[in-house]
Amino acid sequence: MTKHMLTLFIALLAPGLAWGASSPKLIIPSFAGLAQKASESVTITLDPALLGMAARFLDSNDPQDAATKDILKGLQGIYVRSYTFDHDSAYSQADIEGVRSQLAAPGWNRLLETRSRKTHADVDIYIMVDQGKAVGLAIIASEPREFTIVNIVGAIDLDKLHKLEGQFGVPKLDIDTSKPAPPQKK
Amino acid sequence: MSKNIESREDIESQMRAALRPVAPRQAFSRELLARVMLEARPQSRPRFFAAARVRPLAWWLTASVAACLVLAVGVHQHLQQQRLQQSGLEARREVMKALHVTSEKLNLAYEAVKSQSTSLEDEESGA
Repeated sequence: MTKHMLTLFIALLAPGLAWGASSPKLIIPSFAGLAQKASESVTITLDPALLGMAARFLDSNDPQDAATKDILKGLQGIYVRSYTFDHDSAYSQADIEGVRSQLAAPGWNRLLETRSRKTHADVDIYIMVDQGKAVGLAIIASEPREFTIVNIVGAIDLDKLHKLEGQFGVPKLDIDTSKPAPPQKK
Repeated sequence: MSKNIESREDIESQMRAALRPVAPRQAFSRELLARVMLEARPQSRPRFFAAARVRPLAWWLTASVAACLVLAVGVHQHLQQQRLQQSGLEARREVMKALHVTSEKLNLAYEAVKSQSTSLEDEESGA
């Protein structure tokens, strides 16, 4: 009887867990302790309502605003956490691991992994692709005195992101958007 | 005696002449009607004005309350509009900041990729 109950419980819970694991929206911790230690912190939480409101205040006649408006069209959320510290090693990798582990879930693919010996900056870019379309983007950048997590949820048009080049300083990443990114080993 | 009779007849004829029916002037009836209308006007005022005259305080009180309500609704709408505008501008600023941070980190990755490919090229040319 207990066995059956347990099986039923797992069966009911499994779809929920699977959905949660493959959600393009990451569960970002509050990092309250780090925010107190940081000399500068950026916390941006933009849900669909706020994105819609922001889009209404973008001027279509302004090229930068028009490009931004175009990008916002398919987005459902932008979440940014960035902390800058006055000295090295003010944060541990364990602080980031909570987020990084979510990116190991099915659906997420590592698009780029860079380790710079010169600047000691590590940048990982992950993308979630659904039916050939990017539905989630995550950037984890860790430097000796700074770490940043960016999570963009929604239909991200990488071509449009290309168009931002020169406006926000977005570089050309030579990303082939014609076909979905192949899953890579993490 | 006959003199008395004559004088009486004279008075009678004078009175008859004085009291003879005379047709009114042409403008008489028009003037009379105008006067009647003028006197009748206050009586034909609507009851609202009559009531207002009777209770002016109540009327002014109602008008003041209505004016205050209209003013309050206007002020509330103005403040709401202002708050909405502030939130919108704040959201716009945050979007710009978020995209700026994103581009900054993409740049960091780009620089790292570029320097790696340059060092690889150098190694290959050295070999």
